[in-house]
Amino acid sequence: MNCRILLIGLTLFYSCEPFVNEFPNEISVAEMYESVAKTPAVATAAPQVITWNIRFGSARFPFYGDSCGDKVIAKKNDIKDNLDNIVAEINSLDLDIILLQEVDMFSKRSGYINQIQYLLDNTAMNYGCYASIWQADFIPNYGLGRVDLGNAILSKYELNDAERIQLQLRTDQSGLVQYFYLRRNILKVKIPNLNLYAINIHATAFATDDTKQKHIDKFIQVLADIDISGNRFIAGGDLNSLPPGAPVIDFCEHDMCTDENFHTKDKEPYHKEGSYFNNFSGEPDILQPLYASYIPGIPSQMMNNPEHLTHAPSTSNEQMGIKYDRKLDYLFTNIAEGWMAGSASTHQNLWPLSDHIPVSAVLNLTDD
Amino acid sequence: MKNILYIVILIGQLYGAQNWAPHSAHLLPAQRWEMGVFQPFRYGYTETFEVSLHPLLFFIMPNLSFKVPHQNMGGWVTASRHSLIYPTPILNLVSKGTKIGNNIASLISPNFHIPPMIGISNDWVMSRSLDLADITLHGGIDLGIVVGDLDERSSIDLPLVYHRLGVYYNTWGLDLGFDIFRYLTKRLGIHADIDLRLLPGLSGNYDVEHKFLFIWNKSERFQFCTGYKFFYGKFPYGKQARFLPYLPLMETWIPFFEMQFSRDRVSSKTQ
Repeated sequence: MNCRILLIGLTLFYSCEPFVNEFPNEISVAEMYESVAKTPAVATAAPQVITWNIRFGSARFPFYGDSCGDKVIAKKNDIKDNLDNIVAEINSLDLDIILLQEVDMFSKRSGYINQIQYLLDNTAMNYGCYASIWQADFIPNYGLGRVDLGNAILSKYELNDAERIQLQLRTDQSGLVQYFYLRRNILKVKIPNLNLYAINIHATAFATDDTKQKHIDKFIQVLADIDISGNRFIAGGDLNSLPPGAPVIDFCEHDMCTDENFHTKDKEPYHKEGSYFNNFSGEPDILQPLYASYIPGIPSQMMNNPEHLTHAPSTSNEQMGIKYDRKLDYLFTNIAEGWMAGSASTHQNLWPLSDHIPVSAVLNLTDD
Repeated sequence: MKNILYIVILIGQLYGAQNWAPHSAHLLPAQRWEMGVFQPFRYGYTETFEVSLHPLLFFIMPNLSFKVPHQNMGGWVTASRHSLIYPTPILNLVSKGTKIGNNIASLISPNFHIPPMIGISNDWVMSRSLDLADITLHGGIDLGIVVGDLDERSSIDLPLVYHRLGVYYNTWGLDLGFDIFRYLTKRLGIHADIDLRLLPGLSGNYDVEHKFLFIWNKSERFQFCTGYKFFYGKFPYGKQARFLPYLPLMETWIPFFEMQFSRDRVSSKTQ
């Protein structure tokens, strides 16, 4: 009897989730999802792939955490309307694989919607996997409340062996801030019908140390492991890094809020976090190894063209009329035939739907 | 700093050891008072009227509660408990938050202003002494009157807090509970309870709270309690279970402690 009571007690005790999920394992199993009603899908030799940071379905909501905004919790109906706009684009583009960043799952700021399930149930995507980068019962910063934010991969085809690969934490934060802060990751999954892996990353944006180098190095390592083992991949995400040879590496003055001041001698911080891309030696060329080893969605001769810029905070548009001023979002593959010629697109017309522009391209699997 | 102190007191009050039987249908004897570090001040005004309030929170959360006896029913002692609370000032204080570095630590987004609102609770309480233990049953209705617009996004979605404030978002709710108390020795007792709160229509429409305490009576004037609280409830995002108090940074439950004091106003005579 006593043992039974103890067992019940222990079960209840250990059923409690941590207040903040610190993801202690370097590799863990990612969460899997399926659409309620499946849309029949036949494997194609020309699957279309997209990477899209959807900014938790908030579109251009003036969120306090970016864009110089002062708002914290969006209205559920506004989030649904924004998700419906994303759904409409996914359906009109007839995509096969979607790499998503900044997907909210049951977060207070976005109306507690399971965004993966919403997208699966309203598009032709049948399967999804998810790896959280920020999972806490309550973030007391500006009353943000419960948060679960992460990377997701959606696919028409079945997904297997989804892994969450933990990335290094920032080292330029206090222990308390780090406890409540993001734990970024790489999401890796196998798509057997296409005989390839899909890899999705959202690298650090605001670190002022060399954390970004560690994130990109890990990404390169994950891709190299797949490549060396003779497997194929499509990879991408929000790398929060500029293409090699980008003409501008300092966006502090573009991104500056009205009450901020940077580039003032003897005044800290000299640069705005996330707006300066030369925090450590070699940062401007951090993506060179990816371009050297794999085939980019947007060809390297076009990567710095204005029509392929993918990001600028809303403030840049409001204050300076700049809608896009840097490229942060990328697609790569190691498949020999690469991407279909002329298929790559940076969808700048979708500016209102997020603070990142999606990038898509069609894989060439005709030799299969 | 002041805000943090208020929040600590509020949290302590939420864990609520609530002993010396404020949960029971028995009233305090006339002229006797009791209070704890986190407990309300209770005073037996007459043999038929007991009043209680949280003095430390009173100026930011005006509150008043009273209990009156009714006729015994088949061996059960009965009473009714009636409470009024005005949480608007403390919620606006919590919304304003505390500046820490470049951030604002707050439980409610500063975007929201909490309008004037009053909570009214009415409970029926029945107690009986059995050979095994003293038991109490209670049940009642809670009303939340809001003057103005209360944005549903202003809720604090944390255990104990969400469902207590849920009545303002839902306008009404029900509560039911069972308490059991028994002395193990002359000075050591145990107190366990289970409470169910229902908020029909709200997305997080119920919670169950269970508490288990060891109570050590040093004297008739001082007692010490320690134990745990267990919470299980539904929130807008799903269900959650947690032992409380919970230390986030350590990711562990710790027992809570409470000291309670009691005196007679006119003499040292006790119950």
